[in-house]
Amino acid sequence: MTTYLIKRLGQGLLTVFLTVSTVFILIRLAPGDPAVAYAGPLATTEQLAKVRQQFGLDLPVLEQYWIFLQQLFTGNLGTSYSFQAPALQVVLERMPYTLTLATSAILVAAIVSIPLGVWMAKRTDTGKELGANILTIAGQSMPDFWTGIMLLTAFAVLIPVFPASGFATWGGLVLPTITIAILQVALISRMVRREMASNFAAPYLTVARSRGVSERTLTWRYAMGNSAIPVFTALGTRFAAMLNGVVVVEVVFAWPGVGSLIVRALETRDYPLIQATVLVTALLAVLVQLLIDLAYPLLDPRVRLGKAGSA
Amino acid sequence: MRPLLPDLLIRYEPSIERSMMTAPFAGHEISRRSLLQFGAAAGFLLGTGALTGCAGPTGLPGADTLTLALNRSLVSLDNKLNQFDAAVTVQRAVRQALTAIGPEIKPVPVLADRFEMTGDTQWTVRLREGIRYSDGSPVTIEDVSTALKMYRQVQGSFVAGFFPEFPTVVPVDGRTFTLESEKPIPILDALMSMILITPAAQNKPEELQTGVGTGPYVVKKFNRGAGTYSLQRNPNYWGEPAAIENVEVRFLPEESSRVIALRSGEVDVIDTITPDSREQLAGLPGVVLKEASSLRLNQIFYNFRKPAGHPLSDVRVRQALSHAVNGEALVKDVMVDSVTQAEGVTPSSLFGYTRTGSYVYNPAKAKQMLKEAGVTDLKLKIIWETGEFPSDTSVMEALVEMFGDIGVAAELQQFEPGGNILAWRQGKAGDWDLLGNGFPSPTGLAITMLQGMYAGTAEKEKTRDTYQGYVVPSVTAKITAASSEVDPVRREKLLAEAQQAVWDTWPCAWAFVPKSVLAHTDRVQGLTLSANNSYPLADVRLES
Amino acid sequence: MSTTNTLPPAALRPSAVTPRDIARSAAVRRERAAKLKLWIGAACTLLVVLPIALAQVLPLADANAQDLSQRRLAPLVAGHLFGTDQLGRDLLSRVLHGGQVSLTIGLLAVLVSGAIGIILGAAAGFYGKWIDTIVSRLLEAQMSLPLLMMLLLVVALFGPSIPVITFVIAIAQWPEVARLTRSLVLVEREKPYVAAARVLGLHRINILLRHVIPNVFKQASLVVLLLLAQAVLLESALSFLGAGPQRPFATWGRIISDGQDYITTSWWMVTLPGLFIVLLVIGVNLLGDGLRDRSRRKKKEA
Repeated sequence: MTTYLIKRLGQGLLTVFLTVSTVFILIRLAPGDPAVAYAGPLATTEQLAKVRQQFGLDLPVLEQYWIFLQQLFTGNLGTSYSFQAPALQVVLERMPYTLTLATSAILVAAIVSIPLGVWMAKRTDTGKELGANILTIAGQSMPDFWTGIMLLTAFAVLIPVFPASGFATWGGLVLPTITIAILQVALISRMVRREMASNFAAPYLTVARSRGVSERTLTWRYAMGNSAIPVFTALGTRFAAMLNGVVVVEVVFAWPGVGSLIVRALETRDYPLIQATVLVTALLAVLVQLLIDLAYPLLDPRVRLGKAGSA
Repeated sequence: MRPLLPDLLIRYEPSIERSMMTAPFAGHEISRRSLLQFGAAAGFLLGTGALTGCAGPTGLPGADTLTLALNRSLVSLDNKLNQFDAAVTVQRAVRQALTAIGPEIKPVPVLADRFEMTGDTQWTVRLREGIRYSDGSPVTIEDVSTALKMYRQVQGSFVAGFFPEFPTVVPVDGRTFTLESEKPIPILDALMSMILITPAAQNKPEELQTGVGTGPYVVKKFNRGAGTYSLQRNPNYWGEPAAIENVEVRFLPEESSRVIALRSGEVDVIDTITPDSREQLAGLPGVVLKEASSLRLNQIFYNFRKPAGHPLSDVRVRQALSHAVNGEALVKDVMVDSVTQAEGVTPSSLFGYTRTGSYVYNPAKAKQMLKEAGVTDLKLKIIWETGEFPSDTSVMEALVEMFGDIGVAAELQQFEPGGNILAWRQGKAGDWDLLGNGFPSPTGLAITMLQGMYAGTAEKEKTRDTYQGYVVPSVTAKITAASSEVDPVRREKLLAEAQQAVWDTWPCAWAFVPKSVLAHTDRVQGLTLSANNSYPLADVRLES
Repeated sequence: MSTTNTLPPAALRPSAVTPRDIARSAAVRRERAAKLKLWIGAACTLLVVLPIALAQVLPLADANAQDLSQRRLAPLVAGHLFGTDQLGRDLLSRVLHGGQVSLTIGLLAVLVSGAIGIILGAAAGFYGKWIDTIVSRLLEAQMSLPLLMMLLLVVALFGPSIPVITFVIAIAQWPEVARLTRSLVLVEREKPYVAAARVLGLHRINILLRHVIPNVFKQASLVVLLLLAQAVLLESALSFLGAGPQRPFATWGRIISDGQDYITTSWWMVTLPGLFIVLLVIGVNLLGDGLRDRSRRKKKEA
């Protein structure tokens, strides 16, 4: 168990490290100059050169990378050019908002999609199920930015019941959550349906049913118990993916999270801020993945972490 | 056998169906336990997410709070490095300069009560009696000299670029000092409006994001990440105290979000709005629009780094292309009358502006002139950066059509902010013919703009620091003469000559002066928008 | 699994199962559902794809022809079925021509990602060992990447041209094909014919290319339609965030993002292009779903 944990953690950290390194190199290869974004379009060549020197951008990329690594191990991710503040601090100030949105969206998705998926599994091959099936397909076919703009127009402009942007009241959470949840519900309910349907068709359930076990127990204890791992994995994975920033939705709703931050950081070529955002989000994603793995033995006693090879 | 776990660990991607290796099994106890465990694990995971770092709402402003939504994040309260319009209002509410550009685009004294030229290279300044910072400490002459030093030291400072040289502060008595320079700086009173004063001990050669100033408001709290600032009335303000107790500054980058937020009453003021937003908001109940001329000139500028034989090096071709531009249609239809066509090489709102001519739409003449110049098969590449001026993409797409009508094929290349348009402009990354670009004159003086754009020299061109390669020695000589002329009458005459000389070189295919437009809800009273696109926050009132 | 797949032919032997029962049986209903999905899917897809394919033939205004006096006309006004945009261009024509760009990018991206995915997935599944380790790690690493951000970065790096955007979408999509192919090949390689081929002395690459891949290809290629749907969505998201092909090329995402500024006065500029995307993606998804249902049933029957 402990060795497994260390191994997984090591792999996760290696992934994060490689990701951040790739980003470090990529942004420096990309055209565009942070000094211009920083000093403005009227700056002279001499001024730009000074700014580059101040940021250490006049050094060879490998040397910059070496300095970056040294700083990384002391927890220093540099100063954001555009915010004039420690990049890590800026990201950490934004992260809670993305967490709030992701948590609320995944909760809504779980609450809606699990019962919906079970309902569909129980009515496999009926007209109602087909209808629901087509609806979920529609749900996963809508571009999220379009859904967002449509919801915004309907419920913030035409019938102004929710605020259109930002997070001033809890009401501000509603529209972005719905926008994300529509897609997630569509995806997760379909997979719940699939898992549950295959369990419903399994012989063990027929046996249990013939022994007089109630339909409710059959559904929620037997079938759900066996669908727990994939469903839980799906929820966790979607959650982890959202931590990388629900970029488009945050942009549409002016949500003060890391998604809209990264778009701006890219625009201003704010290298330290881009690196810090990628580091933090990738770390969080790896952490969530690890938590999902750790939850497997809880969900299914047959799973023994770290004993995989001997199965 | 295949190991069980690695398969389970491969991420499930719900959009694609994939058979999971979950063999069904029987057993009442196990099922119940796993269900409980499922709940516990799900709760554990979601709970950690929820508890460790979620944020609550930022809170709604109260009835006595004014909320502003800026389209750029406010990262500085003293503008050392970069200056964008939206920030000026808030910055001047917290920090002030010795002078300010007043409603008539002339410098008016603020922290100084006397600001006079007392010699060719000397200005005498007296600080206002009894002015204090919000923490109660007095403003000293040392604060002024430190501020000048700090603005100079910032790398790549926007403000520093406008100073031909930084003057030195020589104290005379407790409140009076002189500003001495090597060469005459006849516009120093206007330039000093950009130097905001902070207590010397707290000033640093970098953007100040908080701290005390002499303004009518103090910073209560700010969140750099989210770009929000909360201001509170300064109880120790040396002038008339502000009418509103609290001001909230929000950052909403998307134009459509700002418009919707204003419509729904979430925010009270949005500034620098686009023509489209203006059209959407005009006539709506509860929304008031304010307009002012601006200190900015937006141009479709020619590339002056073309070799001698190139058509664009021929002034007749440059003039011909300008006749292809239907400026009236652009002003009326694309920018909905939120801009005016330029009638000179600087905006008419600037001090020292001269009318030199106008852009006339005449495609027949354009074709004729091109023919006379012997130009056929001309292909143009137009470059610009997204957001350089309002409705930029529509203007550019319209230009392609207009040039097409006189048989000139135009191609667009749009740069996203942060891209390498600078390298292109300097001719290092690729060749182009026309550039969509804006140029401001924060001092409100025509000379500032002329110096920035048309006073190119061969030496500056070596580092590609001239404005798109514009180097015309005779023009440069005229501008230089005007800038150091101490006598106001003669300076005006020289300025007029210089502007006519620039116009005659046809530097741009078209130019227009945007209006600054601001929208606010009708509960906001007493807001006066000035030409530099800002307004004194202290005068704004809220109707209850 | 199914209890109804061995129905005796009613005509040959007397049976208590009436034709009505058969019509109501799960298998028939499933067949009908799959058929319905296929029909609706085909209808939706054709409704979008046909006009796009015929955009040059249809009597439409030029997608880039501007008429500044006819700006933002509502749908059905002055002969503009979808209305006009902020420069007086016919919106329908722009949506159709934009669709050509979006669909081309989508199709090319699917081809590229399909090729990469099948080759790498098959190699990982068949050879195992270090190839599998590398491919699996890559798959996993990509899951923890901030994908959209990386795509934006790559587009910024190489400039927003159609080949770059195609490549970027392919990079985003290959894991799905690779993962599926890998799991299919893992099952396939244990089958007797592979062992037989090996005994016959065939080279491993030969076995993989000539026997294993053709056997899994059909199943793997079923995801292609779903990938196409995703590619169209991804392309529009990139265009929406500003990483689309140069103007005046219209793409769906760009039309929507331009229209966003006019949302309170000109609803059609966002709504109609969006509906086009939704219709196409629903159609393609339903087709993919229907085909998969059908192939799964056939497999069960076999």
